[in-house]
Amino acid sequence: MHEVHVVCAHGRVETGELSMSEAALSPNAPVAPRLGEDGLAVIVGIGVLILALVSLYGPDLLGWAVTTSVWADPTKALGAVSKAYAGLGGAGALVTTYLALLVVLSAGAAALGAEVRKFAVAFTVVFIIAYASWFVGSWAYIATVTPADQAKFGVSWSLRLTNEGGYIVALIVGLVIANAFPRFADWLKDAIRPELYIKIAIVLLGAFIAVTAAGKLTLASSLLLRGVAAIVEAYLIYWSVVYFIARKWFGFSREWAAPLASGVSICGVAAAIATGGAIRARPQVPVLVSSLVVIFAVVEVLILPFLAQTFLSSQPLVAAAWIGLAVKTDGAAVAAGGITESLVLAKAAAEGINYQPGWLIAVTTTVKVFIDIFIGVWAFILAYIWTNHINVKAGGEKAKASEIWERFPKFVLGFIVTFAAGLALALGGAGPKLAAAVGEANTFRVIFFILTFFSIGVLTDFRKLWREGFGKLAAVYLVSLFGFVIWVGLIISWLFFAGVKPPLVG
Amino acid sequence: MSDQELRNELKAPVEPLLPIEKKLIGWSLGIGVALLVLLVIINHFLPVA
Repeated sequence: MHEVHVVCAHGRVETGELSMSEAALSPNAPVAPRLGEDGLAVIVGIGVLILALVSLYGPDLLGWAVTTSVWADPTKALGAVSKAYAGLGGAGALVTTYLALLVVLSAGAAALGAEVRKFAVAFTVVFIIAYASWFVGSWAYIATVTPADQAKFGVSWSLRLTNEGGYIVALIVGLVIANAFPRFADWLKDAIRPELYIKIAIVLLGAFIAVTAAGKLTLASSLLLRGVAAIVEAYLIYWSVVYFIARKWFGFSREWAAPLASGVSICGVAAAIATGGAIRARPQVPVLVSSLVVIFAVVEVLILPFLAQTFLSSQPLVAAAWIGLAVKTDGAAVAAGGITESLVLAKAAAEGINYQPGWLIAVTTTVKVFIDIFIGVWAFILAYIWTNHINVKAGGEKAKASEIWERFPKFVLGFIVTFAAGLALALGGAGPKLAAAVGEANTFRVIFFILTFFSIGVLTDFRKLWREGFGKLAAVYLVSLFGFVIWVGLIISWLFFAGVKPPLVG
Repeated sequence: MSDQELRNELKAPVEPLLPIEKKLIGWSLGIGVALLVLLVIINHFLPVA
């Protein structure tokens, strides 16, 4: 057991005695960081986008980023994203990308108050394993979908996971490390930061979604309006039902039931921690709930995209919205949205329907970001009720309106900035050069997705489920998630997105 | 939190639902369902372009 510091969503640092894997949820932060993960994600995400956009007016500064194609011959798999850097070769592009990420993220780790040397060593190993997983996932036997592709690569069968099957490989490798090699997982924990990686990816995703949406602005704005339903569903319906189930059916105390309801209903880790702070719960409570959220999010990522492909491929945007509503934690949800898009689009392509890529992940991300925005407001409402009606103490601390801003997920601002910049440039007629520049930034988005999947796997210790007492918490989660949340999410996604299709290619 | 502490916590006597909790659950659900119905109506009259 370790005495660790829990960096809460609102930026305060609290302490508590946690197990090793609980500690991994909030990596070492011995002192209050000068910069939070949200701020760092905004800086890195916007920085990458600015470097990519330089190519609109001058030199191509990011064309060296490594990209992986589906391969049968491994020597032909890797390459630089831009032809201008083809001379680097695949290995050169890979090493350059690694070094660039190492320098930027090590500086970020220093700003977060982490030990830079330990981070750099752990990140090197994390990058190697995660990218190797991505490389394996692009093998033709895993990635090809159509018979034509299989013939092209000379393979007779395939798992048909698409070229984004590497995410699943990275997740599984992470799970194996967490559950079979826990000491190695603990050694890696300095660079296991799924929330940071996914927040950078979401900031980068803003520009990509904007360029996708610019071509069909009316459709995009219609979809945005429908994202409002997700907010109502998560905060007002899911939360109250899960809270009732936890309190009435399972007999949990208020201190446990509120973070649990937020974890299952809203957006996993961040919501559980914000709620824990709002109702003045002991820090161990939301952290334990968060570890449960991560475990179930992994189960969802491994199951729901394939269910979406099987049963919802005729309704692609219903599938995308459903994933955003059902999968908890930003990282798992947006990443699952990426896999779902690949799987659904591949199935449609096999049937001769070629949808434009980008729309499904745009819907999943919009749903998730809309939900995230209101975490602060919801935490304030709970804090007001708890401090004024439930834990009333003479002269006790009362809820402050400033908590709404303190708990606001700041990385959302980065998403809004990159979305606005991308949209302004696209509507200003930047055209194919903009698409190429945003494509280079998107290469880094894919790399951060890979790091997110691997990190989530490394944090997921299934042995926790057998820990005494944990089963009751897991039971509430299981009943609420699989008995209620995913079905209501499916009905509401259907109500708002049925019949709405992404534009076709060309 | 040790296994023993966690087990003891989760076996603690049940705290009955307070009136304010019942209000929170009831109002959340009521407002949520009403807003969803409203959004479905808006969705019906303003279909996706």
